[in-house]
Amino acid sequence: MALSEPAPDPVKSDRKIVVDGVSKAYDTVQALSEVSLAVQEGEFCCIVGPSGCGKTTLLRTIAGLEDANSGSILVDGDRVTGPGLDRGMVFQEYALFPWRTVCGNIRFGLDRPACDCVDCEQRIRELVNLVGLSGFEDAYPKELSGGMKQRVGIARALAVDPEILLLDEPFGSVDARTRDRLHDELLDIWAETQQTVVFVTHDIDEAVKLADRIVVLDDDPGTVQSTVTVDIDHPRKRTSHEFVEYVARIRDELGRPSDANQRNNNF
Amino acid sequence: MSTPTDTGSDTLLDVGVDGNLRRYLRGLSGLAIFLLVWWVGALTTQPSYLVPGPVDAARAFAELFTTSTRIAAPLAGLELVLPTGLAHLTQTLFHYIPGLLLGAVCGSSLGLVMGWNGVLDDWLRPLIRVLRPIPPLAWIVFAIVWFGIHHTGAAFIVFVGAFWINFYAAYGGVEGVSSELTDAASTLGVERDLSMLKLVALPSAAPQLLTGFRTSIGRCWMIVVGAELFGAPGVGYEIINAANNLAMETSVAYMFLISLAFLTMDVGFRLLERRVLAWR
Repeated sequence: MALSEPAPDPVKSDRKIVVDGVSKAYDTVQALSEVSLAVQEGEFCCIVGPSGCGKTTLLRTIAGLEDANSGSILVDGDRVTGPGLDRGMVFQEYALFPWRTVCGNIRFGLDRPACDCVDCEQRIRELVNLVGLSGFEDAYPKELSGGMKQRVGIARALAVDPEILLLDEPFGSVDARTRDRLHDELLDIWAETQQTVVFVTHDIDEAVKLADRIVVLDDDPGTVQSTVTVDIDHPRKRTSHEFVEYVARIRDELGRPSDANQRNNNF
Repeated sequence: MSTPTDTGSDTLLDVGVDGNLRRYLRGLSGLAIFLLVWWVGALTTQPSYLVPGPVDAARAFAELFTTSTRIAAPLAGLELVLPTGLAHLTQTLFHYIPGLLLGAVCGSSLGLVMGWNGVLDDWLRPLIRVLRPIPPLAWIVFAIVWFGIHHTGAAFIVFVGAFWINFYAAYGGVEGVSSELTDAASTLGVERDLSMLKLVALPSAAPQLLTGFRTSIGRCWMIVVGAELFGAPGVGYEIINAANNLAMETSVAYMFLISLAFLTMDVGFRLLERRVLAWR
């Protein structure tokens, strides 16, 4: 079990995303304070932390939906200045367009002039199959369950073939059994597309189930507490000894008071 | 209606059907009582023109469709011969429809753009605060001196009425667009403001826009009758024209004709609305 990793080197080329000293404050609340981390190309990275630790803010900053007050975000070495088709985003409350059908939502990004798919209809059919929504092509979001809505959200983000997939507590409002299934499906999709994934959650089990590496954020202000590399083969069983040990370890990390020295050694 | 022993869905269904029937009967009874009160009131009131009775009104209503009238169609220079009631209704529609549509398009366009663009909102908000409270009919004096009190003048008054209702519906609709949806759209490649307005704000505000338009259908009927009382041709003018001849039953007939026209449009639009907003 790898306990921690050395600090990321921002110039190394296999680092897909580099977050470099990012701080962000809303009015009087310091959401992020000097957060630095790197995500490798093709890596599945989970960000965990208590509610209000700024993990969603961090993800939105990577997406380009928020500006950092200081510090910078680099994707492939280029500074992020706004949203882009290279970063697909899946939202906590789905954010589906209610006036569009399942297919209509999936095709939203393909309707942009940027789309260069040869056969968009074919691509949409593939995506509908990929997320297991065959037969619901013409359903409106109001007719779908939470799990199905999030499948549409994932397919919609995948449609434009982003290199990076950002997910903000995507399975927070679906029931436990559906969530388990969606985890497996997401891992299958990830294996197939080889995308770089950043997944925000407050659920430690979920993070250990999915991630190659877990970044633990501390709250007040949001800082990187530590990172943990999860070295278990997929599929991972929640009841296995290793799994339980990782969960316990991350729970310890979350409970540990943050300390500037430890942070510098461990992020 | 149900005894303690009979339970189950059949009983529930019976209650539902009976409940609907009962509501239907209550409505009919209300109408019948109104007719009776009206009839007795008309019989006992003298002179008779103060309250024309339901039978006289019905006869006058029938007369609207048994006599015919020649009207001029604006712009085309055509002359139409139609049953009297329809003829005057058509005259009203000649200014009602253009005023309503133009007012709705202009009002909702300005509302959308202003609700979307903060700078424009800053510029125009005080002006709109000042202009908004002016009742559309107050513009009648300018309608008369600018256009003359004919189709154009009346259309202008209807325009003003439709404009504000649709303006506020669109403005509120755009303000209510969720930032989650605009975030989602911008991660999917929507960059320009105009694309965001078209692809997200407009469809998201569609329910409010349609409700606004439906409200303006009704409000503009009030306004159009007001404008015609000043002399523009149409059903409103016929109400006052008949009253000037003390043919009050004809006035009542035209009043019901307006009610019928409004109901038809309202029901028609509701059906359209339900289709367009099937996603809700």
